[in-house]
Amino acid sequence: MILDLQHIDPQRIVAIDSSGAELRYAEISQLSKHITLLIPTRSLCFLLVENNVGGIAWVMSMLDSRQLVPLILNVKTEDTLYQQLLHTYQPTYICAPNHFAVQGEVVDCQYDYTLAKISDTTPTLHSELSHLLPTSGSTGSPKLVRHKYDNIEAAGLNISTFFDLKGTDRPLMVLPLYYTMGLSMVFSHLRVGATILITGLSMTDPNFWKFLKEQQATSFTGVPYSFQILNLMRFFRMDLPHLELLTQGGGKMPADLNIKFAEYCRDNGKRWIATYGQSECTARMAYLPAKWALEKVGSIGIAVPNGELSLIDTDGNPITTPHTEGEMCYRGKNVTMGYAREQADLALGDERDGYIRTGDLAYFDEDGCYYIVGRMGRFLKLFGMRVGLDECEQIVQTDCGIECACVGTDEKMLVYITNADKQNDVKDTLVQKTHIVATSFQIRVIDEIPKNEAGKKLYSKLPIN
Amino acid sequence: MTNLEKFNAIFTEVFGVTPQQLGDNYSKDTVSEWDSVHQLNIISLLEETFDLMLDPEDIMACTSYNAGKEILIKNGIEL
Repeated sequence: MILDLQHIDPQRIVAIDSSGAELRYAEISQLSKHITLLIPTRSLCFLLVENNVGGIAWVMSMLDSRQLVPLILNVKTEDTLYQQLLHTYQPTYICAPNHFAVQGEVVDCQYDYTLAKISDTTPTLHSELSHLLPTSGSTGSPKLVRHKYDNIEAAGLNISTFFDLKGTDRPLMVLPLYYTMGLSMVFSHLRVGATILITGLSMTDPNFWKFLKEQQATSFTGVPYSFQILNLMRFFRMDLPHLELLTQGGGKMPADLNIKFAEYCRDNGKRWIATYGQSECTARMAYLPAKWALEKVGSIGIAVPNGELSLIDTDGNPITTPHTEGEMCYRGKNVTMGYAREQADLALGDERDGYIRTGDLAYFDEDGCYYIVGRMGRFLKLFGMRVGLDECEQIVQTDCGIECACVGTDEKMLVYITNADKQNDVKDTLVQKTHIVATSFQIRVIDEIPKNEAGKKLYSKLPIN
Repeated sequence: MTNLEKFNAIFTEVFGVTPQQLGDNYSKDTVSEWDSVHQLNIISLLEETFDLMLDPEDIMACTSYNAGKEILIKNGIEL
């Protein structure tokens, strides 16, 4: 079975959600076998999930069956993007929570999700293709990351090894299941037979805190903004004796907040582990061992077990001396096969062969710990979600009919425009299309968008904060 | 700016709406974008604008436009 789940006691509980529902390990193999019986040929399925037991059951069963290849999406995916994805990839099946009211011929109904057939044809799928995730949660790009079955095994093994996960763990999962880091939490914890406490409740909801305390969570994984909420909620004054591990990913955390959590963990016998990763590599690629949490705060640490980080200079030559900046590269079995931009790409095999240039600029210190200093790619990570700058420019162009230049930091996106009358329109449009909080966008009016002679925008001439 | 105008400005900034759209019905249940990120932003701006340090109970209770007003009044801010 996937992740060697056959070795786990089938009566153990895989997950408990905040509605009180439970899922046992035996049920994954049952649903997987059921899918194999129901689905005659390997087919593409859009799987729209919520953070509940049913979400985990369907994701893991589809992956184990190898009969359904899911594109895992937020059930609240913006409709224009959802339609675009349907049009581009033309799935045979859709599986979604019952309240989503899927159209089509109902094939199965379990765990409050409905599996329906919406087409008689299916795209050609590569035999190794396990699942697909969107590259960007918000900017409406239909570009997907193509994962293979080996990626799941590698992520499960690597992550459970460096976090030292065990069967008695009860991780609290607030990260969405359709988000690479959330999914990797599932892979790594299932591999050791742990019990995931999964919830879609907002961290500002009293029931969230009740769930955390009553279910005696032993670890918490979040993005920087999750820890801002913990901080605001006076987390440091709470009595949480069962909580043993705090882990962070999804972009760089403000240094003062990082130190605050690292010190708290050191003083209270808990572990604080910051991590680095990308969707292209099935989430985690590097981690900062707890012993260095304070001494090397801000570092992404070392490669995960079985992985390898390296740097190359602008000519592509390896950098071997400490404190020299270059593009960070990664090698390991968790590197995905490549992207899909259209339906035909789903037939493609592995285009990366376990190696990827990350697009992040970094250096390493004498101990081999890496520090990210910048990014070559045109995207930001707002609230841990990747937001494409070019895609945002495209949205403004299409919906507001004006040209703009998007730059910024992981704190805020700056949108430069030349027409002052459009300021509100541009902001409203971006907020609507990306579903990102309006305070993340600042619209600035300038006389002219700087360009070179060829008409290419000169982003370097625009202040990024 | 009056305190009420400052309060309204927080909501118009966070949700990208006009003050006219705010009112008794503006809440977590009626505004689909209202998630923990938005709530956190409202709280941060309330604390910054009115120089407050809110309790977790207030943060959790801040789930509507009206609840926001009540939190300010409770913390001694006149609207």
